[in-house]
Amino acid sequence: MPKAFRTATGTTGLGLLLLVMGAATLGPLLAPYDPQAFHPAARLQGPSAAHWLGTDQFGRDLLSRLLNGAPSTVYFGLGATLLGVGAGSMIGVIAGTAGGWLDSVIMRILDGLLAVPELLFTLLIVTFLGGGMGQAMLAVAIAFTPGMARIARSSVLSIRTREYVLAAVARGERSHYIVLREVLPNAVGPIIVEATIRVAFAIMIGATLGFLGLGAQPPSTEWGLMVAEARQFMFRNAWTVAVPGVAIAMAAMGFNLFGDALRDSLDPRRSR
Amino acid sequence: MSFHKVPRRSALLVMALALAVPNLGAAQDDPKMGGTLKISHSTRIATLNVLSLSGPAEYPVIDMAYSGLTRIGPDSQPMPDLAESWEGSADATEFTFHLREGVTFHDGTPATASDVVATYEAILNPDIPASAASVLNMIDTVEAVDDLTVKFSLKTPFADFPTSTAHANARIMSEEALAGDHAMLDTVVNGTGPFKMESYDSARITRLVRNDDYFIEGKPYLDAVEMHLFPDLAAETTNFLSGDIDVMLLVQQADYERISSAPGVNALRVPSGRYVNVVMRFDQEPFNDLRVREALAYAIDRQLLVDLVLEGLGRPAHDNILSPEFKFRIDTPEKNYDPERAKALLAEAGHPDGLKLDLVASNRPAIRAQVAIAIKQMALPAGFDINVETMPHDTYLANVWRKGGFYMAYWGMQPTEDATFNLLLTSNASYEDTGWMNDEFDALVQACRSTTIESERADAYTKAQELMLAELPYIIAFYEDVLTASREHVQGYTLNPINRYFYLESVWLDE
Amino acid sequence: MTLGYLVRRLLAVILVLFVVTFAVFAITMILPGNAAVMILGEYGTEEAVAAMERRLGLDRPWYVQYLDWIGGILRGDLGQSLRLSLPVADVVGDAFWNSASLAVTALVSVTVIAIPLGVLAAIKRGTVADLIIGVFSYIGASMPEFVTATLLLIFLAGPALGLFPAGGFVSPGESLGGFTSHVVLPAATLGLILTAHISRQVRSEMSEVLSSDYIRAARLKGLRERRVIRRHALPNSLAPAVAVISLDIGYLLGGIIVVEEIFAWPGLGRLLIYALENRDLPVIQAITLVLATVYALSNLLSDIVIAILDPRVRYA
Repeated sequence: MPKAFRTATGTTGLGLLLLVMGAATLGPLLAPYDPQAFHPAARLQGPSAAHWLGTDQFGRDLLSRLLNGAPSTVYFGLGATLLGVGAGSMIGVIAGTAGGWLDSVIMRILDGLLAVPELLFTLLIVTFLGGGMGQAMLAVAIAFTPGMARIARSSVLSIRTREYVLAAVARGERSHYIVLREVLPNAVGPIIVEATIRVAFAIMIGATLGFLGLGAQPPSTEWGLMVAEARQFMFRNAWTVAVPGVAIAMAAMGFNLFGDALRDSLDPRRSR
Repeated sequence: MSFHKVPRRSALLVMALALAVPNLGAAQDDPKMGGTLKISHSTRIATLNVLSLSGPAEYPVIDMAYSGLTRIGPDSQPMPDLAESWEGSADATEFTFHLREGVTFHDGTPATASDVVATYEAILNPDIPASAASVLNMIDTVEAVDDLTVKFSLKTPFADFPTSTAHANARIMSEEALAGDHAMLDTVVNGTGPFKMESYDSARITRLVRNDDYFIEGKPYLDAVEMHLFPDLAAETTNFLSGDIDVMLLVQQADYERISSAPGVNALRVPSGRYVNVVMRFDQEPFNDLRVREALAYAIDRQLLVDLVLEGLGRPAHDNILSPEFKFRIDTPEKNYDPERAKALLAEAGHPDGLKLDLVASNRPAIRAQVAIAIKQMALPAGFDINVETMPHDTYLANVWRKGGFYMAYWGMQPTEDATFNLLLTSNASYEDTGWMNDEFDALVQACRSTTIESERADAYTKAQELMLAELPYIIAFYEDVLTASREHVQGYTLNPINRYFYLESVWLDE
Repeated sequence: MTLGYLVRRLLAVILVLFVVTFAVFAITMILPGNAAVMILGEYGTEEAVAAMERRLGLDRPWYVQYLDWIGGILRGDLGQSLRLSLPVADVVGDAFWNSASLAVTALVSVTVIAIPLGVLAAIKRGTVADLIIGVFSYIGASMPEFVTATLLLIFLAGPALGLFPAGGFVSPGESLGGFTSHVVLPAATLGLILTAHISRQVRSEMSEVLSSDYIRAARLKGLRERRVIRRHALPNSLAPAVAVISLDIGYLLGGIIVVEEIFAWPGLGRLLIYALENRDLPVIQAITLVLATVYALSNLLSDIVIAILDPRVRYA
């Protein structure tokens, strides 16, 4: 294990990440109850032997709903980030490698898009896509693209002038060979670090959209939506909002901590 | 954090009180003059245009600022408003309204028959968006006989006409305002109601003050009424309980128990004909088969739905679109939850292995999706595999409303049997959305329009309801109570089950 | 920093605002449903919707509507709100000042809290204080605003304690006390995430500076630690902190949307959600313009401040 992960931050991050990813992958199988099943005799209860995290307004088991909603919450973040990182890196690498007028045009557009705050940008896109899980994911991905493109471009630029690239150019290699074999592998580090931290952010935005009624829709068990649906009952059973709320924070924290540890291990100078 | 069951006993007491209040009304004790009533609401007052507004918080404002020819009273019957009396011809095709003398608009100009004519002409003008048009489209001509007399001639007989003129969106505006730029109607109010607009801020507070020239002597009692906007329900409830607000316009079921048990609060629970209905299209598979519609009807546990979704604050319904408040409503046979019977009906209809369906619900208000999800769960054992698809309201309005084959609708109570049927169920109903198109039903409803003889109307409305229950155009699982609350010092506050009339001129503060 | 650079940056922003508004406009036109449908809701018959579209001018071709709107913008006229029938400038203007009062309160209190926290954590590196600040900043950075807000509501505004109002707004001009009690919870919600970011950044910059050669040199000269930090370390780690604060204004403008919705704060965020729900295009466009402009200007301002704080930075 890299040294950075042996710190308290790294271990906590890795632990949380494994927990969250485990829940997202196996959660629905582990749920003790059908997450949609009503238990009318057990409405809005606190934790008990039968319902470890309590129940919601229909008597649905909160633990089962939480486990069931893990994939749609966590994979949402991963999916949106992957899409955004993919599109962003591609644009960034193209701009950074091509240089010249194409680079300036792309950069001007990116600068402009970055002038719109991310959540606002996401909200605009998702409203006009019509709301829903897929639309929300696409919207977050689009909102992430300009930022990722900028990071990819700058890391390409810093590599472009390094010896091994200059050597490849001198060898007369074709440009796509240079991009694929020399530039991309070396630009990947900063992109991965940024992407990991972005997953945390994507999870938070996804949950926020669910909360605002623009992302996941009932009867989904997405965590942000769970908070929104339970808000009316928060004074009667605080568990209904606290359980999914804390889960979102834990998932985001796992990716944040893990991303920081990853950065430290790639860039030991920053490690402290 | 424990499980609270709604205490039925205390709720019933409050209900009784609610029914008694109209009689107490203003008369008992000596109402005290003065004071400012603060009302909280959770939806924006986006417009004050009487012709087209439809927001729950917009209705109380125009109910204060304007008067109609008639108004629906706390007893749900038409009562005098700007018209002090009216009479209809024997064949119910001509109605004459006599206006009060000496009434003025808030700007001081007299309110006369020509203003009434201008208002009704605007409502009927196809170029002007007007919500009342669909209820008043039987009007052929409207004319001012003299300054204080208005005569309506109808295309077809219509015995309930004085109820239609009480439509909440048919309040009398000044001829002058209607001749001007209609965009002004959105923000500028010039009515004849008990309160006049002082300030209008759609993001926070709308304030109305006493109209000293109101046509009912001695009223209103209050100096001013303020409408405070709280878009977050939790914030609204907390502020009301803290005592900053006098009246909470609409209380959510989830908060009712907490509010009604708070000290110094009168919670008001008014049984109403408000319902969520499942729309099933008659011209599409699989609901073109009566047996499938019936199967779904038996796959729903109505009492459980009332307990879970309404927190017990409503009554189970058995698919009759008319609630017990309606005069001609028949005793409706109960449909008990019977998944086995539903399964058998499905098999009979050619779906022995059950049915997979997509049920659409708008996400606003949340009750639509809640009912849909509950139906999904209840109908599982009957072989219905329902996928609930919830969507933002704008998408729903654009793509599903009156187009979809299986979705959740949500309607408030209408003042009459006729208005209810012609809203949704007759072939030329304003919002016909099932494709039922039943000639016999149309004829029965039409027959009731042309007669004022009680027994004939009772007979035809009975047949119409029987036909409706047999053909099952909608599944209606419950009638939702209207919930509101006021602080103890607020006197004379009452609600009509239609929830469009608020009688705030009779409210006073006992401080 | 050259004047040319500033001009280029501003031009880029204007270009983008133009593109964004055009895109919003075009997409709205393609989608089914519009403000007329939303205004009339389920009570809208086809005739009524058609009449409403004529009244709002929504029956015109999209390019006519767009040119009309752009023409208005160039004359300084933001148009009429479709849903509220009030001039957009009035509606958005009021909301802007309400949002600004919240954002500035949050930002000022965050800056006052976050920078000392970061400095403290850097000086006391490895101690319990550092650990607590670290844990706090990670929790803060991982809680979406709606979760923080909801938890604060339950515990501080709920029936148990009831320390603060559960939402609403009193303008500072009306009653300063009222404003303060209403602003605490929303500002705290916004502040948590910002404090987390900024204190973390300050800590890491400060740590880097503290281990640099010139600080070591200063210490070797025998200067007192307090003086070393105040005169040498702090100024050098402030520039990056300003950079983070300006970046965080982006978060702030996003966070404000959610926080205003939850705490019933009548600002731009709530107005935006309302306008989006009602397809009130002129209002959506105006708010997008305002937020993007504020964001762009704050970025620009921070670049200038950084250039002043750290003479090594050059923009060209």
